[in-house]
Amino acid sequence: MHNFGSLGKAMAVILLAYSLTAGMLIPLKPGIVNVMPDRLKCNTSAWLKVEGYNTFYLRDPRQWKAYLKLGTSDSSRVPYLLFSDSVEVASDTELFAHFNFPAHLPGHKLIASASLILDHPTQGSSVIPGKILLVQDSLNDSLGRQFWTLPADPHFHAFKSLAFPYRNILYETIRNTFYHVSLWFAMFLMFGLSVYQSVKYLRQSDIEADHRAHALVVTGILFGLLGCATGSLWAKYTWDAWWTRDIKLNTAALTMLIYFSYLILRSSIEDRDRRARISAAYNIFALAAAIPLIFILPRLTDSLHPGSGGNPAFGSEDMDNTLRMVFYPAVIGFMLLGIWISNLLYRIIRLEYKLGVNTKA
Amino acid sequence: MLKIFWKFFTILFAMLAWPQVLMAADYMRQIGKIRVVVGVIGVVFFGLIAFLIYLERRINKIEKTINDE
Repeated sequence: MHNFGSLGKAMAVILLAYSLTAGMLIPLKPGIVNVMPDRLKCNTSAWLKVEGYNTFYLRDPRQWKAYLKLGTSDSSRVPYLLFSDSVEVASDTELFAHFNFPAHLPGHKLIASASLILDHPTQGSSVIPGKILLVQDSLNDSLGRQFWTLPADPHFHAFKSLAFPYRNILYETIRNTFYHVSLWFAMFLMFGLSVYQSVKYLRQSDIEADHRAHALVVTGILFGLLGCATGSLWAKYTWDAWWTRDIKLNTAALTMLIYFSYLILRSSIEDRDRRARISAAYNIFALAAAIPLIFILPRLTDSLHPGSGGNPAFGSEDMDNTLRMVFYPAVIGFMLLGIWISNLLYRIIRLEYKLGVNTKA
Repeated sequence: MLKIFWKFFTILFAMLAWPQVLMAADYMRQIGKIRVVVGVIGVVFFGLIAFLIYLERRINKIEKTINDE
């Protein structure tokens, strides 16, 4: 890796340029921002005002259908649905749906939460999950089940063109998947490669390997810090906090501290070979610590951050095939960019050594 | 000197984020939080530029040493 070939550099630029343009230009699927009123009583009827995002309700307005669906997603049985008897479109992003709420709900609780689903044959369907709260005065499970079962299973249409998933709270920030998560992947590659170089130094005492390991760690730290900064900015406008007591955030910060200590360790030893040996050993332990901290610990507990509660972050709730289309190139692009940056830094360190400019490094 | 430059830019950048302190319901004013994405990309971009400047200075030091020999 004395010189990182121009193919790699070109690929880095192309992949990052692609993920920047596609990641920003591909629109979101139409979604539902809000429904008002959202607290309703059984045995009444009401007009629900629906506000959409990136919607075009005025296109073919008579085909819109609205449903209320009870409870959380449980695909094992037929869902309890209520069909709206009338839908009036006010504007491209505003729609009114009329519902006659039956006297009873299925189940044995006086309160139930419902999701609103809008469906259109050409514009697809959108949902706002669990927003509506329905209250009944008395329990009657069997009557409730009757009222809330439709004569025929409705078919919800899919959105036809290419679009990113719409998620309440996230809205457009789902695009940060490409620019935040990919940085962490690139950081891990940097640290992984640096451990490879550290091991190579310990086995062959080749000082070039030590220079490379140093350069790769610095680049990894750069990506890690950018990952923390971008994550913090993302968190402020979705979780309303720059930092939280979340396990993944804290283990990521801890990993950064561990690698800062690597740099401090390096600068505290004067003798070149001792420095290389000790920091190589430390580097290996640092990666051995970073892997459980970032990959394993967060999955053991629940947290706001995707990738917790026993699931990796790439289940159907966090990742989608349309997102993957831009995400994978972004990951590879940042990895190649990282190799390029670390190569530049390595060449600088090497020159400084040869010329006796900066013996500290 | 570089430190002051950096601090100034961080504050300036944070100021760009102030208008975004709105309720989620005010999404229209910020086009669905797209500005947050722009902010994130900006952080990545300026972070990389800052690192480039750091590398530039280090190379300048080397070149000065070569030229003085």
